[in-house]
Amino acid sequence: MLRRDAPINRVMLSLALVALVTWLSLPLGSVAPNRIVPGTAYTIASAIGWPLALVSCLPLLGLLMLAWRPGRNVYRLALGLTLLLLLALPAWLALMAQQRLDPELPQARLGIGAAWWLMLFWLSLVLIELRTRLALAGWRLALLMLPVLGGWWLAAGWLEPLALWQELAGRRSAFVEAVVDHLLLVGGAVGASLLLGAGIALAMRQNPRVERIGFALLNFLQTIPSLALFGLLLAPLAWLASRFEWLAALGVSGIGWAPAFLALLGYSLLPMVRNTFVALSEVDPGVLEAARGMGMSRGQVFRQVRLPLALPVVIEGVRITTVQAIGLTAVAALIGAGGLGIFIFQGLGQAAMDLVLLGALPILAMALAADALLGALTRRLDHRTDLAPGATP
Amino acid sequence: MIELKSVTKRFGGETAVDAISLTVNRGELWALVGTSGCGKSTTLRMINRLIEHDGGEIHIDGRPIREFDGKILRRRIGYAIQSTGLFPHWTVARNIGLVPRLLKWPAARVNARVEELMALLGLSVEQFADKYPSQLSGGQAQRVGVARALAADPDILLMDEPFGALDPITRKGLQAELRDLQSRLQKTIVFVTHDMDEALALADRLVVMNAGRIVQQGRPLELLRAPADDFVASLLGGDDRGLKEAAITRVAERMQPLSPRLLPQARVHRDATLRQALAVMFREHADRLAVVDDEAMPVGELSLRRIVGAGREGGSDT
Repeated sequence: MLRRDAPINRVMLSLALVALVTWLSLPLGSVAPNRIVPGTAYTIASAIGWPLALVSCLPLLGLLMLAWRPGRNVYRLALGLTLLLLLALPAWLALMAQQRLDPELPQARLGIGAAWWLMLFWLSLVLIELRTRLALAGWRLALLMLPVLGGWWLAAGWLEPLALWQELAGRRSAFVEAVVDHLLLVGGAVGASLLLGAGIALAMRQNPRVERIGFALLNFLQTIPSLALFGLLLAPLAWLASRFEWLAALGVSGIGWAPAFLALLGYSLLPMVRNTFVALSEVDPGVLEAARGMGMSRGQVFRQVRLPLALPVVIEGVRITTVQAIGLTAVAALIGAGGLGIFIFQGLGQAAMDLVLLGALPILAMALAADALLGALTRRLDHRTDLAPGATP
Repeated sequence: MIELKSVTKRFGGETAVDAISLTVNRGELWALVGTSGCGKSTTLRMINRLIEHDGGEIHIDGRPIREFDGKILRRRIGYAIQSTGLFPHWTVARNIGLVPRLLKWPAARVNARVEELMALLGLSVEQFADKYPSQLSGGQAQRVGVARALAADPDILLMDEPFGALDPITRKGLQAELRDLQSRLQKTIVFVTHDMDEALALADRLVVMNAGRIVQQGRPLELLRAPADDFVASLLGGDDRGLKEAAITRVAERMQPLSPRLLPQARVHRDATLRQALAVMFREHADRLAVVDDEAMPVGELSLRRIVGAGREGGSDT
C-alpha cells in the first residue's frame, strides 16, 4: 500500500481530527435574550444547519488528507488551508448571529462557545507545527497572519451582536483608558526596575555582601502574595501622603497607582536583577582576558565587551518581567490603580463572563506580543550560538 | 628583547613564580614548559602586566615595564590564548582590527591591515571577514586569534597554549604555519605549552619550569641530551627522548656524500627528520637510505650507523 510507505504527519493528523470532533460536537456559541439570563448553547449544526456546518469542515478535511502525504509543497498547501480556517472563524459566528438572534430583541447577544475557542487553539498548534516543518522565520509567519487579522478587522461589523462586542460598545472610552493605564503601569514599572535593577546588579558585582543580602531580600519580596503586598503598602503610603504634601499632589495615596507601581516594581526587581547580574557575571572569562590582554581599558572592556555580551540575557530578564507585570497589573485594579483588571473584577462581580473576557483577552494579547517582540530582540542580539540563516555557505 | 631578572609573584602566602631570570633576544621563540600550575602562564602574563610582578624586574627593550601604562604596553604586545578569546558579537574582520582601532589608526589603514593579515593567515577575505566566531571551526578561530595578536605589528608576541584545544592534525598544521610565519616575521615570541612535542618543534629555547622555578633552560637539543634532573628527563619523554631528538634533527645534517656503492631503493627527502628516516628504514627493512632533493635527485646517503652514531662522533649540528 502506498500510504504505508509515506511517513504520516501524526501531529497534523491528530490535531485536525481533534479539531473536527470538537468543532462539530461542542457548542459554537450561546444565544441570550439579554445580559442577565444565561444563554442557550448551540452546536454549529444546530446554529447554522448541517449543509453550512459541513462546508465549514471542508478545509479541516483537507488538512486531514494532507497529513497522509507530507512534503514541502503539501505543507505550504496546509498552511494556506489553516490561514483560510482562521480567516473564516468570525464568519461562522456572524452566520449564527444572523440565523439565531431574534431581531425583535435588541438586547439579545451571542456568547462565543467552546468549539470556537478550541478551534482557535488547535489551529494555532497546527501553525506552530507547520512553522517548524517549513522552517519559517517568525516575521514571515507574522506577515502571513496580517491578512487574517485584516479580515477579522473587516468582519467586525458583522459581529455587533457578540456579547463581547456589546460589553465593549458601552465602555469604549473606559476601555481605551484602561488599556492606556495598563500599559503605563507596566511600562513604568518595567522601565524603573530595569534602571534600578541594573544599578543593584552592578553594586552586587562590586561587593559580595551586597549580593547576598540583595538576593535574600528580593527573594523574600517575591514570596509575598501580590494582594498582601498591596495591602502592606496601603498604610505606609497613606501615611507618607499625609506627611508630605507634594507626594499627595502627585497622586500618591494608600490606594491608586502608587502602591500598584511600587508593588510591581518590587516583583519586577528580582527577575531583572537576577538576569542582569548573571548576564554580567557569566561572560566568558577567556573573552574578557583577551580584551584586557589586547590593551582595552576597563571602561572599554565593560562597554564594548561585557555589556554587549550580557545584553541578550538582560533583555531576557526584561521579557520575563514584562510578561509577569502585564499579568500582575490586572490584580492592581483591586486597589484602584486602573487597568484592564477593572473589567475582569467587574465581570466577576456581575457574573458577566463576557466582560471578564473583555479584560482578559487584551491582557493575553499584550503578554503574547511582549513575549514575541522581546524574544525576537534577544535572538537578534545573540551571536553566541546562532548560525544566522543564509550566513553559512 | 625581554629580560626577566629574579622575578617573583606571590598569591596570598603561595609563591607562584620564584625568582626566575631569563633573557629573550629579538627574533627568538622561547617556549615555557612544565606541568599545570608550575607558574608558566603566570610568568607570561606578568610580561604584559595582566598580572603585576611582586619582586624583581621585567625589562622590554631595556626599559622596565612599570614605566609604561598597562594598556599602552599591552597594545604593543601581541597576545593569543587557548580559548582564542574572540569577541563572539564581533565579525572576524572587526576582531582582527581591534588593536589597530585601539591605537586610533584611520579606518582605511585598519581595513588594509585586516585584509593583509587574513591573507597572511590563509583566511579568504570574502569567505570569512563577515563571519562571526561561532561560525568558525576551531582551527579557523585560532588563526583569527593569531591574526588579531599580530594586527598592530607588535615586536613581541605572547602565546598561551594557543593550539591546546585543537585536534592533533589541525595543531600540527598551525604549528608548521607558525614556524613559517616566524621565519618571515622574526618576532620575539614567548610561548607557553604543556605539549613537549610542540615546544621541541617550535622553540629556539626551552625553559622548563617546576613549582615556580626554572629547572633548566637551553636549546632543545641540549636539554634532550643532558637533562638537568629526572623531572626534566621525564618531562622530555623519558626513554622516548632519543626519538624526540631524532624528530628535531634534519636528514641533511647527518647525510654523507654519495658513495660509489649501489644506491639503495628506499629514499628520504633531505629536509625530513631523522625520525622520519628511521620510520622509512623500519618500513622498508633497509639500513641505508638514498637522500633526495626536491627534484627527487639523489644528493647523498644515510646509514643507520650514521643516524645512531652521529651524535657521539660529530655533534656537528649548529
